[in-house]
Amino acid sequence: MAWIALTLIAFALGVVLQARVRSPLANPTLVATLIVAAVLLVGGIPHADYLKEVQPLTALLAPAIVALAVPMYRLRALLARQWRSLVIGGLSGTLVGVGADVLFSRVLGLGDEARRSLLTAPATSPVALQLAQFTGAPPALAATLAVLSGLVGALILPGFLTLIGVRHPLARGLAIGAVSHGVGTARAREEGEATGAASSIGMGLAALLVTLVVAGVGRG
Amino acid sequence: MTTPEPSTTARLSAPVRFVLGLGVLVGFSAAGQALVTVTGLPLPGSVVGLALLWAALGLKIVRLHWIADAADGLLGILGLLFVPATVGFIGYLSAGAEWGLWLLVMTAGLLLGGGVAGVLASRLARPEPPPTEA
Repeated sequence: MAWIALTLIAFALGVVLQARVRSPLANPTLVATLIVAAVLLVGGIPHADYLKEVQPLTALLAPAIVALAVPMYRLRALLARQWRSLVIGGLSGTLVGVGADVLFSRVLGLGDEARRSLLTAPATSPVALQLAQFTGAPPALAATLAVLSGLVGALILPGFLTLIGVRHPLARGLAIGAVSHGVGTARAREEGEATGAASSIGMGLAALLVTLVVAGVGRG
Repeated sequence: MTTPEPSTTARLSAPVRFVLGLGVLVGFSAAGQALVTVTGLPLPGSVVGLALLWAALGLKIVRLHWIADAADGLLGILGLLFVPATVGFIGYLSAGAEWGLWLLVMTAGLLLGGGVAGVLASRLARPEPPPTEA
């Protein structure tokens, strides 16, 4: 129970910090991750032991993802009007993201395990985990890099999109969801319901596309 | 599934409505997982559950007010629910300097992929009064 308490309080601290400091680094998920990681490392506690303890918290993740249907349903008229831009933008973005991961890990000569794991990073971590059997990536590393891709995306994408002049709430949400899935969607929701709903669509499309790409590569 | 009268469900107290909503959400997540297990699709059960719930809302099998409180509550702390997974990076600290390269590749993929998605989507967006966030 102590680990659940630590995780909840660390996240709440992150939210308080975010309200006080206007910095993308004051992201509640990042703050909580660093606090919990520091305590585990200092105490010499393996991540698996921690995971077992916080199982009740993890059990809420699946219904929370399902709950993303609610903002999508509320905005159904808007999403239906813009489906072409969402589908084409989301699929192209995910494809470019996967392509860049493959290309740059070759160019930089990354190890085999990291290269295979990065292939599924633009998809949500349960997808990365399940696809590991096809890509030959170590499942835990594939899931870790996927979830960190979400975290890094949540930190850098909103500012980057503003920098390159992407202001449309749907386009911003879609871009964040297409490569940084769940954690990114949590961040996108801070910008508004439309941004959050578009991000859920980006996440769903990325899950589908990365699965198809890996299945195609796996067969070939 | 029994379908309670909307008038009755609308009069439920907030905590009961939350429990009802959570039950429906967990039910759809379980249904999504079951569908994935049966079909062998390499998709996460929760994303399939999301699609099922969206369809059920559209077909009026599920009423929005049953699940709105629970959904908004869970989504308000969505970032919290990823913390157990993100902490997993400590299992790979031994990779040391390799992390720099991993993050570099990841960042390049995020900026290029996110940039293309954002620019394309805003170019292709049909002109309409910009969606208000209110």
